[in-house]
Amino acid sequence: MERKTIMICDDDKGILEMLELFLELEGFNVICEINSTNLITQLNTHKPDLLLLDLWMPLLSGDQVLKIIRGTAEIEHLPVIVLSASVDGNVIAKELGANGFIAKPFDLDDITSGITTILSN
Amino acid sequence: MEKNTSHIDKLKQHIHIKSNDLDLYLKALNSAYSGIIITDNMQHDNPIIYCNTAFETITGYSHNEIIGHNCRFLQTQDRSQPERQIIKDSISRGEECKVEIRNYRKDGTLFWNELFISPVKNEEGKVTHFIGVQNDITARKKAEHDLREEKSHVEQKIQERTKELQDKEIFLSSIIETVRESLLVLDANYVVLSANKHFLNSFKVSSEETVGKPLFELGKKQWNINSLKELLTQILPTNNPVIDYEVDNLFPHIGRKVMLLNAYRIEFEGHYKDRILIAIEDITEKKEQDRRKDDFLSIASHELKTPLTTIKGLVQILQRMSADHPNPKFVNTLDKMSSYVDRLNLLITKLLDTSKIQSGNIELHMEPFDIDKTIRDAIDNIKLAVPGYEICLSGTTGAIVEGDELQIIQVVNNLLSNAIKYSPDSDKVDVGIHKVANFVKISVRDYGMGINYQDRLKIFERFYRASHIQKKFPGLGIGLYVSHEIIANHKGTLWVESEPGEGSTFNFTLPIINNDDNHGA
Repeated sequence: MERKTIMICDDDKGILEMLELFLELEGFNVICEINSTNLITQLNTHKPDLLLLDLWMPLLSGDQVLKIIRGTAEIEHLPVIVLSASVDGNVIAKELGANGFIAKPFDLDDITSGITTILSN
Repeated sequence: MEKNTSHIDKLKQHIHIKSNDLDLYLKALNSAYSGIIITDNMQHDNPIIYCNTAFETITGYSHNEIIGHNCRFLQTQDRSQPERQIIKDSISRGEECKVEIRNYRKDGTLFWNELFISPVKNEEGKVTHFIGVQNDITARKKAEHDLREEKSHVEQKIQERTKELQDKEIFLSSIIETVRESLLVLDANYVVLSANKHFLNSFKVSSEETVGKPLFELGKKQWNINSLKELLTQILPTNNPVIDYEVDNLFPHIGRKVMLLNAYRIEFEGHYKDRILIAIEDITEKKEQDRRKDDFLSIASHELKTPLTTIKGLVQILQRMSADHPNPKFVNTLDKMSSYVDRLNLLITKLLDTSKIQSGNIELHMEPFDIDKTIRDAIDNIKLAVPGYEICLSGTTGAIVEGDELQIIQVVNNLLSNAIKYSPDSDKVDVGIHKVANFVKISVRDYGMGINYQDRLKIFERFYRASHIQKKFPGLGIGLYVSHEIIANHKGTLWVESEPGEGSTFNFTLPIINNDDNHGA
């Protein structure tokens, strides 16, 4: 099976490293981006199969990023799963057209099942 | 000779008649109620030469003791009375006079003498005698004195009472003026009758632009709010006060403020009725502090959850790696870590829930859902977590409830985990779900320690923890508070029935969606 590429964008280094470790173990290619302002370029460069996106980030927040993605022709259909510790994260995710929402702290099973469900569609 | 005799006889007869008359006059004098004396002004010091019986009775002196004395002997040592001068002057001028003078009886007791003195003059106009008529007016004087006393007493009382009232009024008005709350009194037409200093200061208005104006026209008509109007118009006819009504408005001079308004009907018997007292408290600052606190809690919990996500993920990665690990102690330790991470997460979540609920910020994502299924799934999940426990579900409703399913699950989880936590010696919990009129009723019954009356009253309060369980069962005292608020937000109720030692039943209700609406939608 072809290895899928997952991009993770979170301003917290710990979460990035943990998810990278986990997803690589699960057999994914993983690209991490800690700076959300670089994200669009990175997406255009690497063309990942799916994006795990944090909401509360400095400079450019997750919802702003999501808006840009949905308005940029090359990446507008990119599957995005929002990861957030804020209670209203799921509402924001839904409103902005995310494909999924997982509340922090999460079970890693939810991450895998979320990714698999979306990628298999 | 005969003629002489007859003349003498006539004279005798005349004298006899005269003497009879005199007798009669004396008797009349003696039967008078007033004391009567005659003094001889031609003699030195004007001595008394006659007194009647009443005079003896009044003074207590006998006739013999009286005759020859000047009248002043009745004043004994009490010589400084101004009336004496009046008498003296009248006598020297040969005029009549009337005085009220203090006299003393033979036994030394005082009596008030109303004395009337009248001169008797001879043909040449010279005063030969004085006639004194006296009345003992002690009783009248006493009555007058008593009356005066009483009057002055009453006057003093009135003065005291007036002073007291004034003091009270000063006291009350100083309270009204110094109290840190704005107060308005309205008449039945909502016209301002008075406004205290705090009102004028806080709204930066003058008494002139406030008093005499209808409340709803004050300032920029900031009180002209329909719902407030409705409440205020109900006060007088129903006597229902307005309690804690929030007005969030842009006020002239002072800007945007949140005011808390309470209004009561006041009545002062015999003076007025149907007035309204309005107390207005500026809670802008308090609201702002609440908001900051909530913001803080919400940021804090978000920040705490971020590293927790990493820890939780890492623990799970280790758990996966150790799936085939031969050392059970290692596996066991990781499992423990995992459960403590979950507990920490739960605490953080609860703190955030409370802060959101306190500020009324909790968002409900209302959608119709199958309540039977929700309860069943919630119970199944808990069963997985506590395998040794028997959780029996009975009843079904077939009802669809509109609400935030996740929050209802949170309530069920709270109630079930409490039921398990506080029944250390039992391993059974019964859950019932039934349809009661237009509601679904869910009951969680445990066989644990039960809750006493005092605690039952308070367990739904924020951060309340029954004192005796505090050490044995750690917790924040938030779960039931949050549950209570969630159910209230769903227009249901949450209550408890319990007795110490007999376990507890927590019940809550949720309104069922009207079938017609459901089909229509």
